[in-house]
Amino acid sequence: MNNPRRDPSFWAFALFVLVAVLPIAVGLVYAAAYSFGTVGLLRQGFTFDFWTATLTRSEIWFSLLNSAYVATLTLALTWMVALPVSLSLRRPLEQGALGTAVYLPLALPMTVAAFVVFQMFTGSGLLARPFAALGLIDSPQAFMPLIHDPASIGVIVAFLLITIPYFSLLLRWFYRAEAVEELCRLTLTLGGTRRDCWRRVAWPILWQRGQVHTMLWWISVFGAYEIPLLLGKQSPQMVSVLTMRKFQMFDLQQKPVAFIAALIYSVLVAAVLTLVFRRAGKQGRLGV
Amino acid sequence: MFEARGTRRFLAVAAALAFCLGPYLLVPLLSLTNNWRFPHLLPTDWQAQHWSHFLTGSAMVDSIGISLLISLLVCAVATPLGFLAARYVAYHPRREQLLITAYAPYVFSPVILATVLLYLYLKLDLVGSMLGVLAAQIMFAAGFALIFFVPFWNDHKRRLEELVYTLGGNRRQAFTQVLLPLFREPLLICAFQTFLISWTQYGTTLLIGAGKVQTLPLKVYDFVAEANPQYAAMAATLLILPPALLIWFNRKLALISSQEPL
Repeated sequence: MNNPRRDPSFWAFALFVLVAVLPIAVGLVYAAAYSFGTVGLLRQGFTFDFWTATLTRSEIWFSLLNSAYVATLTLALTWMVALPVSLSLRRPLEQGALGTAVYLPLALPMTVAAFVVFQMFTGSGLLARPFAALGLIDSPQAFMPLIHDPASIGVIVAFLLITIPYFSLLLRWFYRAEAVEELCRLTLTLGGTRRDCWRRVAWPILWQRGQVHTMLWWISVFGAYEIPLLLGKQSPQMVSVLTMRKFQMFDLQQKPVAFIAALIYSVLVAAVLTLVFRRAGKQGRLGV
Repeated sequence: MFEARGTRRFLAVAAALAFCLGPYLLVPLLSLTNNWRFPHLLPTDWQAQHWSHFLTGSAMVDSIGISLLISLLVCAVATPLGFLAARYVAYHPRREQLLITAYAPYVFSPVILATVLLYLYLKLDLVGSMLGVLAAQIMFAAGFALIFFVPFWNDHKRRLEELVYTLGGNRRQAFTQVLLPLFREPLLICAFQTFLISWTQYGTTLLIGAGKVQTLPLKVYDFVAEANPQYAAMAATLLILPPALLIWFNRKLALISSQEPL
């Protein structure tokens, strides 16, 4: 039974590498070759010209910074809301109406989340109407900009629609799996206060267990497309939107920019993924 | 210890319910209203007959059919592929290094990946075809399925499998009579998840499908872009309904199998 060639799981993994891993490797090699001028319509022999031209422009850096800002703020706000929700509503999250309803946002497509926020947050949206009814605004233009806005509020809110329920469930699960309740009771028995329970027991455990998921979600938000496409500002755009726009432009000179943005993104994601694996490996937990 | 009680708890549950159910109530509501415009607080005109025009006049039936077909095929290919490949990864001495290969298609932005994959797909003549969209979506779904199943292939399963061989059984019997019944719930949960990954996929379908493979997420975005909120709401309702049903069913199964996440 030890011959791997007779093992169907060996062939399944080989097929997985063929259909899922190899195309990515080929695609990244092609993107790199294109960006160095060795393949494609702009082929001119090995050159750093495209890289120099792209990296000396602020557009790509602002785009990466904007993506990092949205991802970081989304995850920070997610923790700020999901943590108290998971602790204070542990039982309702397990049973009853909320126990089922909290799973629904996990199935919300990003396109629909963006559409919902668009309907709520535009100048003529549902959120502006109570202000109009109270006489605080008299036209849609008078409502504060929450879509395509400089602070990316609409984009962040759309992500929060999905991330807050996910982390509320996750942290509630960790609370139970790590027996935080019992550890806190022990802390009180040994003379500690409720504050000690929170600062020295609950928070460190939940934060440590949630780090890997936080980093994976950070990668996901960092490279998200549908939500910033509909709700994001025009400049700087998030990195996926910028890459796609540059790639789809009629100007061929923009194609290397798209590939360079994709390559920089890939290097960043690979770095975060390596960090995720180191942490998950230390915790002995790899998998979904 | 930190549990909210009394009025605070009631208000917090009500707020959480509104937050979770809001999109699932608002989208169908928008699809049933007519001219619900600024500054009206509530809908003034209800029109359900738009639905019949919508379903017959905007190639929606085609889009629903294409979305369903692609999602079912992705689910049918990615789930068994991930299930078997995960076994190889889980029992391999270099488990972590192999697992990182599965994370690549799972965590990378689908749009950015599609951008770098487009050349290969053009060479293989897959761009603008359903086969191309299927191949691209299977990449992501199979990556997810592999990662999903790795923790399930543990020492317990391995010992059971070895017990079958010790008792004279062969590999086929070990799979069909021991492992598959044990994996029934995780297989179903993973099948739902891979279906959802495909059902909600937008960027990859847009780029690899080249506008010729019109799935439901593409329709939603098209209607939003052409400032047609009612049609967008109807397409979005069709898009969120199956996942909502699946997630409910998925939850029932997850409660049964209750495996530890990452």
